[in-house]
This record gives sequence, structure tokens and C-alpha cells, in this order.
Amino acid sequence: MIPQLIALSLWLSAISISLNNGAFEVSGISPLPAGDPAELFVVAVDGKADLPPLAGTYEVQGDSVRFRPRFPLTPGVRYRAEWRPSGTSRRFEIPKPAVKPTARVERVYPTSDTLPENQLKLYIHFSAPMSRAEAWRRVHLLDDAGKEVSLPFLEIDEELWDPEGRRLTVLFDPGRIKRGLVPHNEVGPPLVAGRAYQLVIDREWQDAGGTPMVEEFRKSFRVKEADRTPPTPGNWKLHAPRARSSESLQVDFPEPLDSALLERLLWVETAKGAKVEGVITVARNETRWLFAPAIPWLPGNYVLKVGTVLEDLAGNRIDRPFDVDTFDRVEMRLTVKTRQLPFRIAP
Amino acid sequence: MNKLGFRIALCLGLLALLLLPATAANLSNSLKTGKAELKSAGPLAFGPEGILFVADPAAASIYALDTGDQKAGQPAAEVEAINEKVAAFLGTTPDQILINDMAVNPASKKAYLSVSRGRGPDAAAVILRVDSKGKIEELSLESVKHAKVALPNAPAADAKDRRGQTLRQEAITDMAFIDGKLIVAGLSNEEFGSNLRVIPFPFSSVDNGAAIEIFHGSHGRFETNAPVRTFVPYSVDNKPHVLAAYTCTPLVKFPLSDLKPGKKVLGATIAELGNRNRPLDMIVYRKGSTDYILLNNSSRGVMKLSTEKIERYAGITKQTEVAGMPYETIASLKGVEHLDKIDDAQALLLVRGESGALDLKRFALP
Repeated sequence: MIPQLIALSLWLSAISISLNNGAFEVSGISPLPAGDPAELFVVAVDGKADLPPLAGTYEVQGDSVRFRPRFPLTPGVRYRAEWRPSGTSRRFEIPKPAVKPTARVERVYPTSDTLPENQLKLYIHFSAPMSRAEAWRRVHLLDDAGKEVSLPFLEIDEELWDPEGRRLTVLFDPGRIKRGLVPHNEVGPPLVAGRAYQLVIDREWQDAGGTPMVEEFRKSFRVKEADRTPPTPGNWKLHAPRARSSESLQVDFPEPLDSALLERLLWVETAKGAKVEGVITVARNETRWLFAPAIPWLPGNYVLKVGTVLEDLAGNRIDRPFDVDTFDRVEMRLTVKTRQLPFRIAP
Repeated sequence: MNKLGFRIALCLGLLALLLLPATAANLSNSLKTGKAELKSAGPLAFGPEGILFVADPAAASIYALDTGDQKAGQPAAEVEAINEKVAAFLGTTPDQILINDMAVNPASKKAYLSVSRGRGPDAAAVILRVDSKGKIEELSLESVKHAKVALPNAPAADAKDRRGQTLRQEAITDMAFIDGKLIVAGLSNEEFGSNLRVIPFPFSSVDNGAAIEIFHGSHGRFETNAPVRTFVPYSVDNKPHVLAAYTCTPLVKFPLSDLKPGKKVLGATIAELGNRNRPLDMIVYRKGSTDYILLNNSSRGVMKLSTEKIERYAGITKQTEVAGMPYETIASLKGVEHLDKIDDAQALLLVRGESGALDLKRFALP
């Protein structure tokens, strides 16, 4: 009987609450009481009594009051709209559509299965934009006994994402890598030479839409001794392409370099300083850089430009190692921002 | 003070009074009314006259917003489970919002929050404020007096990868306003290095504000050009200094006058914050005639340091001096995620409780 009675009283009062095009509306109010509409028509998330009403704007038209929320309604959240003068209320919920997981980890850089003990960064590439504030629960490092390494990464709340939310940069805790610091001396580096590890990324990590990934991701690698030597462009091997061909310029490094920086800090210029347009490919576990020109090479002199903040896997830059040993007075600081390697395309 | 000294002081005082309104007018004149289109809302810092600086890391920019909130009032009330209330106010669930920073407006004592509604890259950036009754309201950015400055030294627009995208982005970890300058600490998602910038305000007079490299010797031996995580300006003998906590834990001091574009600064390491620990926020406050610094950490609680001791402490120069300057740990404070000063007697905290809820709490400064 009770539901029928409520329906009857609603019909008698002719006050009805509806949700149209994302706006809540109460209609059939006659006469419209005086007062702030925000005090009379209250829309809130249906939950604890002390939750504040939704942010939004009110509009009074004839015998109705309309409330447009500041943000679109969230599917799966239940809202309660109440016309206080009559105590009429109604609950609304936009059903949450079932979404099939599509996001996955596409790759992790470095791609090599051997990393130095003082490895500084990992880049995790996802196939779709991901949710923030999950990384430090979802990325794990397991040692060769399958035991989770405690706090190997710099867990910063800001999280180092690219603008699309598809690439996360994970820094190993620099305090544990840098020699001489308390964390390094007391806890030691997160990776130990001679041992094997697995990087595990949980399937439960939600994409930007709130759906978990298709599958878990694992990467196994071994650890070799620390690398404290800055990359030296003089040791790189350049293989010049043939004139009038679209062959790639090939640059081989004796060690893997930072994948992201290879995309940004290496470029080709003509002898007159004009940038040559083309496409970069990083290959062979980041030990090879290929540059295919947009138009075939013309014979002449060129330079490969290198930004000096280019890093190897251990964060050693061309202009200085990751941690400078001032006792040894290794003065690696260069004032130049770029180095250049000339090459010639023979006619 | 002799008579001549007194007269000089009087003249200087009058001159300062004459200059003050001009400076104030300049600050608000530099802001133009319009829509402030924040792509993201990260760290917050207040300047004078209720001007709020908001870091927009997704747009590699800093906004200066005129909050119009200059009337002195009672401080923001304590609010239990403020994350749940903010989520409800924005029409969503607590797992779909992130409170990125909290700052107290020194003029009105209201609390300002920078919030992401959503957790993906398209999350909406919202600035909220909490008043003395605990009421939450939004600072509308539709028509607000504001100015924007692009982060100097952000990567060039043509620095794109093979898919034609710019993947480099900087997280901004802290900001502070001092002596007409905004100091911004950033951390790139690509190259590892110190990115501290000094940006003069009003932004119209912005110079290149180049990144400053700060090196700190660790026990006199190894030095790294590491990123600053959080910092606070403080004064000793009227000389402004900066105390900075690094991502790799050393606590380093240097004079503010050293922060000049393009300059390499060598900071003095005065303490280490211990392993498995991240510094989060710092404030400076005065008790009696001494300034103290309160620093909250991810796992080592809240630490109190006296600036007098900082100045007396010569710095860690030998590899054997591991401990550095002594500090006091405030045992009663746990789970503090953000910290800002209300006045010299109280601070406002965002505290994560055991249930996972985030509470806005007041705290009597020790």
C-alpha cells in the first residue's frame, strides 16, 4: 500500500522531479516559494548525510526549478534530488556500461634484458591513457627468489606521465643509487649486480576510463656492475647513407642510451645549420639510432647534433656522470649545450 | 640608534609607505579579466593581495589568479573526510578525485585546494576553497583576473618524437613567492636534473628565468645535479635564504641571492632525512624571536628545525658526518600529506587516516 500512497500523494501535489539532458528539474510548483533555489531544491550524491550538495547552477522558469550540475553526472553514482518545501525526493542513477578491458602495457624501456646496477629510469608505455594515483601500488620489482624489493622507486605523488597519460617514467630511488648518501649506505641500491629480477605490472591498474588492463605485464632482466662512465659521442659509429637515396643514417653506440632522450636530443643538420626533416627509429635495445630523411639525401657535409643532457641507462650525461666524485676532481662540466659529429654524403 | 640614524630610518619608512600602494597597484594591474583555462592544477602558492599562483604542469604554465579574497577572517574549519565531501561536491566518488595541493590564503585564512576531477589525462582542474564554517566552494575561473606565464626552458614545441608528439612533461613539485619572485621546483619525466626557476612577478616583466642548477656535496665527496622536491624561503639577518629538500633526501641551504638564471649554485648540505623517506612540504613560522621550519615526510613524520641552528651549522663536509644537523620529530603527527601555515600559532594539515579518508585539521605549532 505504501508505494501506491506515495504515488497518489505525488500525483495530488503534481510536483515531479525529473532528469533531462543532465539537468535535474522539479516542476508543478505553484505557487513558487520565495527563497534561494539552492536551499529549496537540493541535489546531492546519495550517501552520508553530511555530504555537501553538488556544485551547479539554478534556473527558475514558470512553475519549475532546474539545476544543472557543474560537471557531467558520473555513471554508477546515485544522486538524490529533493524539493524541500514538500519533502518530495527522487533518486537517479545512470547505469555504468560494461566495458571490456583493452589497455595493456605495450613495452618497457630499456628493452635490454641486462641493466646496470645503477639503472636510473624505466619508461612504461601503455596502449591507452591510464589513471593516475595507482602507479606505486601497481608496479613491483621481484628479486630472483620472487620476493618483492622494498621501495625500489622514487614514489612521488605527482607521477611522471607524458601529456597523453600513456607513458609513465619510473625513477629508481636516486638516494639509494647516489654514492655517499644515507639511503645508499644503509639500504643499498635497489638492484644488485649479479642478480636477476622481474618487473611486474598489475592487470588491476585502471585505464583513464576506470577499466582494468587486459593482462599483467612481466619483464625479466639480469643486473651487471654499475656504469659510471658518461657516454662519449667520439666512440659512436656513424654509417653515412648513399647520396640520392632515402637510406637511414645509422649511428651505433657501444652501450644503450635513454630511449626518450634519443628521440629528442639527436638530430641532423646541414653544414649551413638547417635541420634535416625525417623520421627517427631507435633500435637494437637502444644501441642504434636510425634517421630516415623525408626527402632523399643530397651530397654534402652534414652534422649529427647531440644535446649534452643525453643520458645513458644510469643517468650519466654526456657532460657529467650521474654522481661526480669530487675527490677525484672529475670535471666533466662542459659549457656547450650540444656536441656535433660531422659526416659526409659522397656524391 | 643615534639621531641621524633615526632620521634615516624614518625617511626610509616613509619612502616604503609611499612605495607600497604603487607596488600593490602594479600587481593587480598586471592581471586581466577573462577565462583561465587550466589544463591541470598542481602546486599552489599565495602571493600578496590574495593572489594565488597555480601550477599547470600539463600546460607547462603558471597562473596567477586574483581570488578577490582579501577580507581578514577566521581560519578554515576542520573538515573530516574532506576527500569524500569534495568528491560529492563535484558529483563523483572519492576514488575519482585527487587533491593535489592545499594552501592557506594569508589574507583571509581560507584553505584553497587544487583538485583533479577524474584520474586520466583529461581530468578537469578545479580550485576549491574552504571557509571557517567548513563550507566548500569553487573559485570560478570563467571570468577571473589572471595572468599566465609559460614555464621558461620548457621543451621547444618542435621537440617531438617520431609520432610527432611531445612526450616530455614536467611535474611541478613546489612553488613559493618571495621578494616579488615566484620560485618553482620541477622534475622532468625525461632528463634527470635540477630544475629550479625564479620567475619575477608581475609576469609581464618576465625575463628568461632560466633553470638554475644546484649542486650539493654529499659528505664532501659526491655531488649530483638532483631535482629539488620541496623548499621554503626563510630569512636570517634579513637575508633571504632557501632551505631545499631533495628527492634523494639531503636538506640543503643556499642564499636566495645565489638564484640567478644560468648560475650554478653550490648548496650546503645540512642534514639527511633518512632512507625510505620522501620530503613533502615545508613551512616557516616564528616563536619568540626564532624562526622554525616544519617539514613533513612520507615516512619519517614531521620534523622541526630551528633556523638559528641551521645558520650555526656549518654543513656536512666529511663523509663520516652522516647525521648532520639534529632535528626534533613531532611524534603526534602521522599521515600528513600537505601542510600550510595559518599564522605563527597554527598550521592547517591534510592528514590521511587509517581508513584512507583525508581530514583537514588544524595543528598548534610547537
